[in-house]
Amino acid sequence: MTLLSIRDLRTQFMTEGGLVRAVDGISLSVGAGETVAVVGESGCGKSVTALSILRLIASPPGRIAGGTIEFEGLDLLSMPEKAMRRIRGKKIAMVFQEPQTSLHPVFTVGFQVAEPLLLHEKISRRAGRARAIELLRRVGIADPESRVDDYPHQLSGGMKQRAMIAMALACKPSLLIADEPTTALDVTVQSQILALLKDLQRDLGMSVLLITHDLGIVAEVADRVAVMYAGRIVETADVRALFASPRHPYTVGLFDSLPRVGEIRARLRAIPGQVPDPAAFPEGCRFHPRCPLAIDRCRSEVPLLREISPGHASACHRAEEVKR
Amino acid sequence: MSGEPLLSVRGLKKHFLVRRGFLGASSARLRAVDGVSLSVREGETLGLVGESGCGKTTLGRAILRLLPPTAGTVRFRGRDLSELSGSELRAVRRRMQIVFQDPYGSLDPRMTAGSIVAEGLAIHRIGSRSERRARADALLERVGIPASHAGRHPHEFSGGQRQRIGIARALALDPEFIVCDEPVSALDVSIQAQILNLLADLQSERRLAYLFISHDLRVVEHVSERVAVMYLGRIVEEAGSKDLYDRPGHPYTRALLAAVPIPDPERKRVRIILPGEIPSPMNPPPGCPFHPRCSIARDRCRTEVPILRAPSPGRRVSCFFAEDYEGAPAAEG
Repeated sequence: MTLLSIRDLRTQFMTEGGLVRAVDGISLSVGAGETVAVVGESGCGKSVTALSILRLIASPPGRIAGGTIEFEGLDLLSMPEKAMRRIRGKKIAMVFQEPQTSLHPVFTVGFQVAEPLLLHEKISRRAGRARAIELLRRVGIADPESRVDDYPHQLSGGMKQRAMIAMALACKPSLLIADEPTTALDVTVQSQILALLKDLQRDLGMSVLLITHDLGIVAEVADRVAVMYAGRIVETADVRALFASPRHPYTVGLFDSLPRVGEIRARLRAIPGQVPDPAAFPEGCRFHPRCPLAIDRCRSEVPLLREISPGHASACHRAEEVKR
Repeated sequence: MSGEPLLSVRGLKKHFLVRRGFLGASSARLRAVDGVSLSVREGETLGLVGESGCGKTTLGRAILRLLPPTAGTVRFRGRDLSELSGSELRAVRRRMQIVFQDPYGSLDPRMTAGSIVAEGLAIHRIGSRSERRARADALLERVGIPASHAGRHPHEFSGGQRQRIGIARALALDPEFIVCDEPVSALDVSIQAQILNLLADLQSERRLAYLFISHDLRVVEHVSERVAVMYLGRIVEEAGSKDLYDRPGHPYTRALLAAVPIPDPERKRVRIILPGEIPSPMNPPPGCPFHPRCSIARDRCRTEVPILRAPSPGRRVSCFFAEDYEGAPAAEG
């Protein structure tokens, strides 16, 4: 069953350098209970996609220029802002990369965790505090009875991220959007947080849209993957199929760029060139200037995302020839 | 493994006094680096891994005397840096350079790429102005920046290009040793690979030695012949790269390796979850600093500090019970 369905989403920003087509016609769906990872490098549009779903694009300079986003049968983009506020934080919650800037410094952790409940469920402050303690315990914060009165600066980075997750889960959302939730954390804390997210997802039956640049994390937690490059989805597949037989030269390039376990001091097959500037994406296939398979057709004709095998789609004119 | 190492560090400490209380009425000692010994041979890479706050960056800076050490000695080609006069120290420092993590913050935004690279030459009064310019152009070309871009300012370059400029700057004075402090951590994956390849090429061309500091275990494994693991200001294990990754001897190394996500969905997703977080270096635990998080800690670990010892040739480990792990593979929980 499809929970979230994005069709031909276009999000643009007006900047001094001209119109930036940050997200340029992407389609993506998330099923109930499913974890979908959106993976890509800086400027590919993955975070803008997440913010577009929640209609958190600042306007101006940004605007959602086209497409539809359906969630539980409702069209989020045509919904009045007041109705949207009942979705945000209640039905769809979000966890950001930087817990230090996402928590408000002058309110206690307990208040911030309880805030969505006070807002959406209109419970009393006393009940809110009790629920906050419960939630903090559920996300693995030791001694939640005293931590509930702490201010964010009294918590470590890992604990702040746990508190953010507690806040996101307060209203038992059906979709959690996690934007690089562990990027600012140490590797041992990262593994704790990823394990926590998986446990919670299983217990609550929630869907997760995970935004990340790390293919290791994708392999560990995702069911399905969408690879983004320069504002477009270039490949989408089941996680096993994507890792076993990628069908887009960019995906192959990403895998080849990773140092392999057990391969000491071997040369990496890096992708040549630069990550493109969103204000000046190349014509045709946006990956063509860096692509080893590029032909004339790639320079002029935009390749559409097409199914190569059931559930596996690639936006490459030469997808059938791509090999890892 | 013959002769004097290029760089030899013995018992290095760097403590900071941190003011606390009302208007700094009291102070506490932060032991960022607390007795580190290591050596780096000509042309080799020693990887230094650890999590945030373990002291790896401070160690790199204390070795270069960018931060004055609290105790210990640093010898470069056998000469104790603390015993050198000002002009001698400057001469030795030409041979020791650093590449920083942040390609945005580490380049002066008002200078051109060419003058950033040539600055060290100017400070050391090497060559005429035009010779310096020619040398900067050649270095930029070598790291993959067209010399025609030498007149551009840092903001006109991408993150990866800025890191290339930082590398060209480090090369200007013909160093033998470079501290690479998280040189690819701020870069996209596809650009990381380009920079790692560049560093490897320069190393073989110029017989450079690197101290490669990173929190990324996969990157460190890839670039290093030997790897040292830091925890709370100390080295807890050091071994050849393959040995360390195949058969980690210290429980912290094992936990660290097990926590790295493996980009392979077919692998069994079993892992050690290391409980808790790194304690504050202002108030380290008694005994073995790792014992509160260690799965095999016993009474002895709570009271007695394990010293770095060599249970087998080429390996140093500071754990009383490292032998219990001998021969055990790394990845399982």
